Amino acid sequence: MTLYHSSQAKDSCGFGLMAHLDGKPSHQLLKTSLTALTRMTHRGAVSTDGKTGDGCGVLIQLPTQFFKSIAKKLNYNLGKRFAVGQVFLNPDSTKARKSKQILEDELRKETLTIAGWRKVPIDKRACGSIAQQSMPQIEQVFINSPSGWTEEDLERRLFIARRRAADKIESDNHYYVVSLSCRVIVYKALVMPEYLDRFYLDLADKKLKTAISLFHQRFSTNTAPLWKFAQPFRLLAHNGEINTITGNRNWANARQAKLYSPLLPDLPHLHHLVNQFGSDSSSLDNMLEVMLAGGMSVFRALRLLVPPAWAKRTNMDSDLKAFYEFNSMHMEPWDGPAGIVMTNGKQIACTLDRNGLRPARYVITKNRILTVASEVGVWDYSESDVVEKDRVGPGEMLAADISNGQIWRTNKIDDHLKERHPYLEWLRENTIRLRSNPRLEKQAAENYINENLKDLPIFEKLFNVSIEESDQVIRIIANDSQEPTSSMGDDTPIAVLSKQPRNLFDYFRQQFAQVTNPPIDPLREASVMSMETCFGREHNVFQETNALAYRAIIETPVLDYAKIQQLKSLDQEFYRFDSISLNYPKNENLEEELIKITDKAVELVKSGCVILQLSDRDIAEDKLPIHAALATGAVHQRLIKEGLRCDANIIVETATTHDPHQFAVLLGIGATAISPYLSLQIVNKLFTQSKLSTDIISARKNYLRGINKGLLKILSKMGISTIASYRSAQLFEAIGLDSSIVELCFPDIQSRIGGSTFEDLHNMSLRNAIDAWKPFKKIKRSGQLKFVYGAEYHAFNPDVVTSLQKAVTTGEYSDYLTFADFVNQRPITTLRDMMQLKLSDSPLQLNQVEQKESILKRFDSAAMSIGALSPEAHESLALAMNKIGGRSNSGEGGEDPKRFNSNKNSKIKQIASGRFGVDANYLSSAEVLQIKIAQGAKPGEGGHLPGSKVTVEIAKLRNANEGVSLISPPPHHDIYSIEDLAQLIFDLKQVNPVALISVKLVSGPGVGTIAAGVAKAYADMITIAGHDGGTGASPLSSVKYAGTPWELGLSETHQALIENGLRDKICLQVDGGLKTGLDIIKGAILGADSFGFGTGPMVALGCNFLRLCHLNNCATGVATQNKILRQQHFHGLPEKVINYFDFVAQEVRTWLAKLGIENLNALIGRSDLLSIIDGETAEQHKLNLKIILESSKRPGKNSKHAKKTHYQQILNSPFDQGALNQKIISDISNNKVSNKPLHFKYKIRNYDRSVGASLSGYLARNPDVNIQIHIAFTGVAGQSFGVWNKEGMYFDLIGDANDYVGKGMSGGQINIKSPVDIQYVASRCAIIGNTCLYGATGGRLFASGQAGERFAVRNSGAVTVVEGVGDHGCEYMTGGAVLILGPVGENFAAGMTGGIAFILDLRETLERKINPEHVEVFSFSDVECDEYIEQLHDMLRQHIKATNSPWAKKIHRNFEHYIDYFMLVVPKNNCRSDPCFSKQNSDSVTSTNKLKTPANPISLRLVK
Amino acid sequence: MSSKQNPLEFILTAREISPKRNADKRVKDFNEIYLSNKDDKLSRQASRCLDCGNPYCEWKCPLHNYIPNWLEQVAQGNNQLAYQLMYETNPLPEICGRVCPQDRLCEKACTINTEFGAVTIGEIEKNISDQGIKNNWSTNLQKAPVKKNKVAIIGAGPGGLACADQLARNGIKPTVYDLHPEIGGLLTFGIPSFKLEKQVIRKRRKYLEDLGVKFKLNTNVGTDITFDQINSEYDCFFLAMGTYKNVTTDIPNINAKGVLQALDYLIGNINYLENFKFRSANYHDLKGKNVIVLGGGDTAMDCVRTAIRQQAKKVTCVYRRDQLSMPGSPAEVNNAQQEGVNFLFNYSPVSVEIDPIEKSVKGINLQQTVLDNDNKIKSLENSTMLMQADTIITAFGFRASPADWFREYEIKVDSSGLIITGKKANKLGACQTTADNVFAGGDMVRGADLVVTAIADGIKAANEMINYLSEKISE
Repeated sequence: MTLYHSSQAKDSCGFGLMAHLDGKPSHQLLKTSLTALTRMTHRGAVSTDGKTGDGCGVLIQLPTQFFKSIAKKLNYNLGKRFAVGQVFLNPDSTKARKSKQILEDELRKETLTIAGWRKVPIDKRACGSIAQQSMPQIEQVFINSPSGWTEEDLERRLFIARRRAADKIESDNHYYVVSLSCRVIVYKALVMPEYLDRFYLDLADKKLKTAISLFHQRFSTNTAPLWKFAQPFRLLAHNGEINTITGNRNWANARQAKLYSPLLPDLPHLHHLVNQFGSDSSSLDNMLEVMLAGGMSVFRALRLLVPPAWAKRTNMDSDLKAFYEFNSMHMEPWDGPAGIVMTNGKQIACTLDRNGLRPARYVITKNRILTVASEVGVWDYSESDVVEKDRVGPGEMLAADISNGQIWRTNKIDDHLKERHPYLEWLRENTIRLRSNPRLEKQAAENYINENLKDLPIFEKLFNVSIEESDQVIRIIANDSQEPTSSMGDDTPIAVLSKQPRNLFDYFRQQFAQVTNPPIDPLREASVMSMETCFGREHNVFQETNALAYRAIIETPVLDYAKIQQLKSLDQEFYRFDSISLNYPKNENLEEELIKITDKAVELVKSGCVILQLSDRDIAEDKLPIHAALATGAVHQRLIKEGLRCDANIIVETATTHDPHQFAVLLGIGATAISPYLSLQIVNKLFTQSKLSTDIISARKNYLRGINKGLLKILSKMGISTIASYRSAQLFEAIGLDSSIVELCFPDIQSRIGGSTFEDLHNMSLRNAIDAWKPFKKIKRSGQLKFVYGAEYHAFNPDVVTSLQKAVTTGEYSDYLTFADFVNQRPITTLRDMMQLKLSDSPLQLNQVEQKESILKRFDSAAMSIGALSPEAHESLALAMNKIGGRSNSGEGGEDPKRFNSNKNSKIKQIASGRFGVDANYLSSAEVLQIKIAQGAKPGEGGHLPGSKVTVEIAKLRNANEGVSLISPPPHHDIYSIEDLAQLIFDLKQVNPVALISVKLVSGPGVGTIAAGVAKAYADMITIAGHDGGTGASPLSSVKYAGTPWELGLSETHQALIENGLRDKICLQVDGGLKTGLDIIKGAILGADSFGFGTGPMVALGCNFLRLCHLNNCATGVATQNKILRQQHFHGLPEKVINYFDFVAQEVRTWLAKLGIENLNALIGRSDLLSIIDGETAEQHKLNLKIILESSKRPGKNSKHAKKTHYQQILNSPFDQGALNQKIISDISNNKVSNKPLHFKYKIRNYDRSVGASLSGYLARNPDVNIQIHIAFTGVAGQSFGVWNKEGMYFDLIGDANDYVGKGMSGGQINIKSPVDIQYVASRCAIIGNTCLYGATGGRLFASGQAGERFAVRNSGAVTVVEGVGDHGCEYMTGGAVLILGPVGENFAAGMTGGIAFILDLRETLERKINPEHVEVFSFSDVECDEYIEQLHDMLRQHIKATNSPWAKKIHRNFEHYIDYFMLVVPKNNCRSDPCFSKQNSDSVTSTNKLKTPANPISLRLVK
Repeated sequence: MSSKQNPLEFILTAREISPKRNADKRVKDFNEIYLSNKDDKLSRQASRCLDCGNPYCEWKCPLHNYIPNWLEQVAQGNNQLAYQLMYETNPLPEICGRVCPQDRLCEKACTINTEFGAVTIGEIEKNISDQGIKNNWSTNLQKAPVKKNKVAIIGAGPGGLACADQLARNGIKPTVYDLHPEIGGLLTFGIPSFKLEKQVIRKRRKYLEDLGVKFKLNTNVGTDITFDQINSEYDCFFLAMGTYKNVTTDIPNINAKGVLQALDYLIGNINYLENFKFRSANYHDLKGKNVIVLGGGDTAMDCVRTAIRQQAKKVTCVYRRDQLSMPGSPAEVNNAQQEGVNFLFNYSPVSVEIDPIEKSVKGINLQQTVLDNDNKIKSLENSTMLMQADTIITAFGFRASPADWFREYEIKVDSSGLIITGKKANKLGACQTTADNVFAGGDMVRGADLVVTAIADGIKAANEMINYLSEKISE
């Protein structure tokens, strides 16, 4: 058993479709689509053999003529209506024959006749060696339909036969029906796109014609991809990742019993509706297939599976909203980044997820060819032939029916759907909305205070609610409706290692999005989130009738008293309410009792119960509660198994849930809603103790609201936007639970190291129960948050901190050893504490082991920004790390350029989602560029630097305004998937070709898979951070419940890299709680080449582990911006840090000697040198840690990986050489004379990526080259055009550009315009892609067309003019000026705390599109502020000069007319300091505020 | 993690302890020298607490009092909650607030101590717990069902009282034997009233009696009553009899008339002032005398300051090492200095000079000392000098004084007379002696130590005894 499994691969890709809108088939179309596919090769991945791709393919119309002639040649008799199946068969011909036989039998059962089989002609030479090893036999089967059948009939019978056959052939892994249809056929293979038609000779055959070609190219995180996982699937191709796949699969199973279609009478007999393993996209394809086969229309099916965000849209038509609401009652969204193209051979469609996280651009040319693809410009059409081009936006859909040539756009589709039934009426008549009721709440609270206060301590003790939990969690949430914030991470043992009784929820670690999908920002992008929860029986989705709307709805799954009362009093005929008690007799067996409860649940639901309550409220002295998580999981699973889950809703009335994580676990494992009665009672108690700052009703409301907010955060951490999709998605890893528990209660949750059994949980409850009923026994302090003597162990306890500080001050190694003993001899706290070194019988002399210097080189300090640290501490750390030969890490807050070439330079420069200070100079000053995907203490979350910490210096480094809060988005807006990461790495390698690119990941299940993908994306270094990493400030539930111990993540990653043959190219770093030389030794054994330290060196600098970093009052001056504290009370000399690392290295050497190993390289992967100790508790004893040692094992001498056992300093160079960039650099070097401006011209194509980056890097490295460089491009620019653009660089592009134009730009100018001879209206078409100007700090961008989603996100200085933008424009902007001469999408200016935006709002819809939290909108009609008008005018003139935009010219000519439609969007805080705005109005958000002429020139001035 | 007022309060507000009575006034009586503080001052001072992630104060406190938690309550004006928290871990908070050397424990460990001045933990503890006792804020804390187990505690000093309180809270009502006429042991008889007024002890006694603790005073187990007599009556015992044997020196004439032992002197004084009528305590009035106190610990300070209050003519404290090396609390030295005590450092006694006729003290011969690198004392040659004195008090500390009957009941002591407990002695825990049903703690186990460590032992022993008794029942 090992940790890494190649089957967990994730993927992303380039995709697209081409179609002749009038249905005219041609070979040319197929050929062009293959060209298009080839031109997106960079979006896929290439294996180590240089030839094997991760899979690509095409889905085309079934070329009937072509197959007829083939059949003729083969002497097969094909009838009028026939189908062709493309089948992957087992290379073993016996097995293949058997599977074929079964398929044939099933087809015959459907009265179909088999005309014959054909070996598909292939050329194996087009295949790389890796692909050949796993290659199946590929054959086609020809099937005749009985006469009189329609196409639909035939398709359905083929579907059922195929599915039945698959159920019977489960044992044959190779068998896979690629496609089986009378309409379409799929050709796919593990080859690079350019070899696809060399591999399949059919595709090169000119006789093969199609009017539709849907194509896909895959980037898998795995180097041994499987043939069958290549796309397209039978109906669709998908780019992205379904985050909620486990839940969707579970619900598909649960719903199977509910689905009935007369068209598919045999549906209930299929094993599963959708694939249970493997690719998420294939399961989605399965579901779509079922829906279409069942008679659903393509539109409804797609809109049901991947709906747009409707719940919170205020500007959506109410009938349409009703359509979505009605349908949401029968199907949860398949949520996650998704670009989907599909076809059934006649209709084609492309749709995007609600957040538009994958790009899709389309072009329609004069000859009626529609091309949709991840990128624009994938084949060389002539721009003058383009009649229309644009992008598909978030939640939008583009469809066409080639049988009649009709094109369907989002609005038309939606109109069509909403009018099919009177959804709104149905809803109004039949759905009941349950609401809060303050009167009832008050009554509940009063009842409680009068009667039940005396019992509260029993509950608290029985359910193990510590004083800290009441005081530091529940109280804070009740006061602030916000989770508490914590600093310095979690230094306590994970639940299974702890000797304290812990809540079962502590065993669950939240999963989080990293690399292969992005987290969402639940605050700034709240519009896409929904917590709506329905009650009532589910019905058959194929049937749309009035009765299906019989539902009770609540806005959130967290129930207050009033809602639960209302639920109980609903019409019992439709909503029968029953309750099951979770308390069982003390002397009974927990597991058996749990099964009894599931039996009872089945019985109740069968007898008509609809609202099934599980309650632990009726406690008794002779009973113990079954933990709500066990009961919820077991009942949910059982009801699914019995086909009853959709007949009932599970509500959990429980004392166990207090913080958001605990709620999330219950929902994630299947609860419909939760009633947290004990938490509310504790709120009541706190009120009676006058510990609350508010009245009792508000406090209860605050508490529930805070839980909700926390839930949203947990969902969005995984990139999920609706609770319906999160429910049952089981997005957790269990650490320390025995498989008996997991199998019964949460079968889809991984629990890799075993641990506590039912018996242990029973004993734990017994322990709690002993004191619970003794009134004189006090409620305990658990010490879970802060050190409490005698309670939970803390790794940075006072002994550890004080002894370390003493050692670094005295400089005595003996003092260090005191510290090291405190750490190395501690009670078992981490997994590695259970691993003991096997010391050698023949130890080495100290002088025989490697020198200190080479060990010190492996030490990095962990990323800590200036902002988190005081500048003094930050510099001390840099000085120290440089001195010892290690590296310090800038963190994500930028760095003063003065430090770049000095001994205070941070050799690691971090690129985080906020992109603060990230420009060409910064990037060029680094030895390592670290992309922080996630942070150990709060993976999947953004950051927020409160205004109080934004000092003048910080503001300068981050290009922001003093005192204004700065937001780091949860995702990198240029990394929504693995191929996006590859692109960012490419950007970075172009700008700084010598730096190592490092990617920081957080340990979690599947991190090995992701790491392999990251390595394939050409990273050089990977950091695996443990859950115990420190942090400046983070919500408590993230600190406590996200991420996993690095021992798991590190060894999994090490194994994954070895198995994929990538280990020698990757420097693998571990980070998290490292303190002593012994930690280093164990880290190396488990696979690390390099080591990151966060808290250790901080403590050496004087940090006392006060956990106050977020309050800016660090008494030691380490983590504060307070001047007095920094200047008078910071005593952190670099020498102290040097002492510390010196000691650690010294200790490492002594261990090496004792182990008899000469150097660390020889130690990496030597897990044979570790033995597992027995453990101090029953739970520890049950852990299976061998799996970790097995995973990190060094490959044997005979293994094919024997030479790739650790990092060999091999540069991981990209497949793409960046030819155009190289040419530009060489042209400039060759033509450079004096200081004259240089002019060049180039053709550019979509595969020319990151153009300009190399030049920016070159200029940054050669500050003496002080010339203006003008480059004129024509064509379509690839991604990241003008990325990191610098002063002196002037780019002019005639044509289109893809995503990320001007990303990280700091100076210069980019102009993008359409050619003169176009037929479309340029200002209405997309000209640049998504996420342009992300993190720009300066420069100018003018584009005479529309931009995609997230335009100017995190812009802090660039000035730009475009003619329209997509959703989330100007998000998190902190500076610069944006002029938009056209429409803006949803959620404009979310989190914008600086800069200014002018918008031409002709449709007068801006007010509804804007996110008003941080900004105000002013109309120019009221404006008397000439400065702003002048600035607008000036920008307009520059735009005309740069792009010659006809639209801009028109506005300019009629400026007096248009000025009335211009709106001004400014941050609220600006209004306060800006003399332009009258002070008394500054708090209102109305647009009527008067502007007055400023006395002084205003701060926002155009950069000239 | 908690939402506090101003996170920078520790800079904005300086450390400020409550005012002391003026030295010239306070030396005229034996009343406590610190005035009580107003609530707003206390809460202001309490809000200087940073509520550190590592509560070093709590860690350093032998009782591990929930200091940051009660400071938070005081800062928010919830004095009652604060008192309940204090009492949760400490049965005698009003006493610790007065006599604990905070400047060596919690306040020394306080994160802001070195740079900003520690939070005034001791003073807040004293003030709040005085309020707590006055208002009876802890009455509703005792809910344990009464058990029938019988436990005797021998010694009503801090260890014995702590043990009694802890047992009573858990439903076991113990009987406490003590040879003195009042409870408190050295708290009452050793520590002078200007540090701990005796009414404090009386209030605590009332509280404990209300809780169900019985006191049998003026009863010296071993003489007034044999151990055998009580052995049959009780299920188990806690011995907390302290260390009463004075550490002596063998310099010439040390037994001369006019040389006093510190403890005899202090007990005599308190007995006289409080009219306890303790039979074996002689009163020594040092009015108008020239007094030399030998030693540098807290007891020495108690002696010099008592002598000052008895209106001695001149009081000098002679200590062998330098001021920094003094084992006692710096605050006490400071108080003594303010009250007019003279200090002579780096001198050690060589012999007592006596009047050859009266055989009474005339003075003391001292030799100058230096400390070598290992902090060991070396005498300088030819540095002897004579210092005149009428009375010399030796305050060199205390040694074990094991009772004679220990041997009979197999309660083993080590070579220095301290009772052996813990793993070396028996199986149960830290406080069990070699005799199964006898537990012990405080000075008689660990040697002369702080009040607070004795309290910690008392609590620990009580918990062990509860386990011992419940196991015994289940057997």
